[in-house]
Amino acid sequence: MRRYRLLLVAGLGVAAMLLGLLFFGNLNRNLVYFLTPAEAIAQRAEFSDGRRLQLGGLVEPGSVARTADGLRFTVAAGATPSSATVSVLHTGTPAQLFRSGIGVVLEGSWRGDVFVSDTMLVKHDENYRAPEEPAEAGA
Amino acid sequence: MMPRSARLPVVAGVAVAAGLAGAMLAPPDRLQGELVRLMYVHVPAAWLAFLSFGVTFVASVAWLWRRRPGADRIAAASAEIGVFFTGLAIALGSIWGKPTWGVWWTWDPRLVTTALMFFVYLGYLALRRATVDPLSRARRSAVFGVVAFVQVPIVHLSVLWWRTLHQPPTVLQPGDPTIDHSMLAALLGNLAAFTLVFAVLLRERIRLAADEDAADAAQHTGDRGLAGDAVAAPRMEDSGV
Repeated sequence: MRRYRLLLVAGLGVAAMLLGLLFFGNLNRNLVYFLTPAEAIAQRAEFSDGRRLQLGGLVEPGSVARTADGLRFTVAAGATPSSATVSVLHTGTPAQLFRSGIGVVLEGSWRGDVFVSDTMLVKHDENYRAPEEPAEAGA
Repeated sequence: MMPRSARLPVVAGVAVAAGLAGAMLAPPDRLQGELVRLMYVHVPAAWLAFLSFGVTFVASVAWLWRRRPGADRIAAASAEIGVFFTGLAIALGSIWGKPTWGVWWTWDPRLVTTALMFFVYLGYLALRRATVDPLSRARRSAVFGVVAFVQVPIVHLSVLWWRTLHQPPTVLQPGDPTIDHSMLAALLGNLAAFTLVFAVLLRERIRLAADEDAADAAQHTGDRGLAGDAVAAPRMEDSGV
């Protein structure tokens, strides 16, 4: 019984330490799943050597263009026009649900002012809506 | 006795059939199309995982307080169901993620914390097999069941605390849920149906555990009688002795 209690206290202590490390340690930077466009621009110097990072944001409506070397578009943090934007050249295959206005997480690196990505994940948001125009099924 | 125990599975079966019909009749999503129908199973599976581990937590606290063997059986049965539905939620999420996100798996905080919860509760089930003494088994697993529950709020809030690929909650957020109301009705119907399935599974598993415990106790106290009791000693016919 006594040995068991000792084990329990030790176990709880380890659990508390791990949780504390998780919340207050400097792990938060490594827990960031993607950088926003503004953060990515601010940290561009750190990633100038071609180190890979994940960039997340919304595809700006009307910015998508298909070119010979890949898909070019602009990623913004939000729908407001004043937010920071990043020009992207996506060389991989675009995700199935890719379209302008949708959230994306891109993996790649900076090449000058352009973010060159080869992996695209589509971030589906928490909104679920029925299609507004069921008539245009051929589109 | 018999009708009462048969009523709940029938109600649960009808509810599951109605939930399935609702999931098929609900409209497709504007962006995802028919893929959205996986939500009607994925979200209830995740809900059952949370509910099961919640029941394990309450039963573990109850065992530590009153030390009744029944509480231990509830905790164990509920954890088994929870592990199954956590695995189901992960598998269904993965199947949904491939066409929607583009990947089966990504190191997103929601996915990682859910996988961690799955493995920790697998550890709970392993711990229950680590000793045959019922008292120490109940004590160890009660402490485990209380401590491990800390993960449930972490998993639920992971999408709010950290940046994730996984979407934040739709229904459990302030204000009008940002979901088409016919979809919401189908989702709530499936949540209710899965909860009934949970009640059936939990009750059957507890009953099985109680029978197992009774069989074990009978074996250990040795009140089964001797093997030769049924055999009578040979006697002379009409010997008069």
